[in-house]
Amino acid sequence: MGESCGNDGATDLGSSAVRYSRHGLVRTGGALVAAGAVGSLFLVRAQPAGTAPSEALDREIFSFALQLEYLQAAFYAAAVGAGSLRGDVLEFAETVAEHEQAHVDFLRDALGASAPEAPEFDFGRAIRGERAFLDAAELLENTGVAAYNGQAANLTKPSLAAAAEIVSVEGRHAAWASALAGHDPAPRAADPGEPARAITATIRRTGFLR
Amino acid sequence: MTDPTVDPTLDELAATLADVDADGALQETAAAAFPGTRGAFLRRSLGTLAGITAGAVVAGEAAAAPVAATENDVAILRFDLVLEYLQAGLYTEAERIGALTPETLAWARVVGAHERAHVRALQDLLGRRTVPSPGFNYRDVTSDEDAFIKTAVAFEDLTAALLKWQAPRLDSRSIVAAAVTLHSVETRHAAWIRHLNGLSPVTSAFDKPASQERMARLIASTGFLTRRSRTALNARPRFTG
Repeated sequence: MGESCGNDGATDLGSSAVRYSRHGLVRTGGALVAAGAVGSLFLVRAQPAGTAPSEALDREIFSFALQLEYLQAAFYAAAVGAGSLRGDVLEFAETVAEHEQAHVDFLRDALGASAPEAPEFDFGRAIRGERAFLDAAELLENTGVAAYNGQAANLTKPSLAAAAEIVSVEGRHAAWASALAGHDPAPRAADPGEPARAITATIRRTGFLR
Repeated sequence: MTDPTVDPTLDELAATLADVDADGALQETAAAAFPGTRGAFLRRSLGTLAGITAGAVVAGEAAAAPVAATENDVAILRFDLVLEYLQAGLYTEAERIGALTPETLAWARVVGAHERAHVRALQDLLGRRTVPSPGFNYRDVTSDEDAFIKTAVAFEDLTAALLKWQAPRLDSRSIVAAAVTLHSVETRHAAWIRHLNGLSPVTSAFDKPASQERMARLIASTGFLTRRSRTALNARPRFTG
């Protein structure tokens, strides 16, 4: 992670975005082959495991989600402020910036006094050109979808209902970014969830976290 | 971490959350239920899931099946299955007739393949509790550009809203983990068809849920269901509200 991160990580980010879209299916395929190979073991392990949903766990998950929303909100605000976007892409950035800030506000409100503060970010070249911007936007939105989907079953019902309203919008953002970039807006029949560690690793690779 | 300057909070949270589903069982179930659509890959994985389900049923171990569905969950999954039958049929027929613009046909081709994959995944989740497809008559909607787009936007937006309504009403956490992987794809479909047609892909920071009754009303308003479907429809609880 650390070796490929840096404040000039915009070029790395571009390749990260490609890696996500091209090889995501391959990774899922590997997991499925493994699941099939273990056969009856899978029957046992498919039962919900680990900690049951609770308000305490909701807070952990919302705190994690808030970090992602901070990152997204800051990214779009910085991209709009940098002044290098035009037309449809600028409209996208302005619209999504508002949504991500609303998500931040919602999660901060839900968490109350225990809400973590926003980290410092440096978006490097990712906010200085349309191509790099759209690559980063696709990566961040797809990562948001994978993060929320990965935690859905761990949330209590009320929190799941709220998270569903947010991830729905992240999915629309992702499709919109892909359409503007000339990529497939719906590249797969399912959006697999990813565990928090994988999400964190993806975010680290962008180099956006200072 | 090799970089001591990074924010520790994110890692701490990730570590905590990783422990919640330490063996990835929930995610494995979701991945097996709704895999990607790539040809042999899909058939292999769904075949695996079907084999496991069939084996469990034969062995009388329904409780140990990949998903242990309550009556409530079965009713929800059956509702979704009929909705997916309807959408898959709509888009597949549009693709076969080929009368729409190239952009719309390209959308119908990709999204049709997704909805067909969703049909197969839901059938496998339901196992022997699956329901057959009703009959559909799409009339001229599959060859009329404007009618098709209006119908597709309505169904994709409302399907996404429906899955949001259902998610907190599901009993099984494994089924929740699977259903959400389908939900966000429906939101992508909706945003994509909207973007193609000059509509805003996303109109609010929070997408609101819509009930099964609302979806049932939309389906009824289309008149797509044909008489030969009545038996199958009546056999399913909660559909006609």
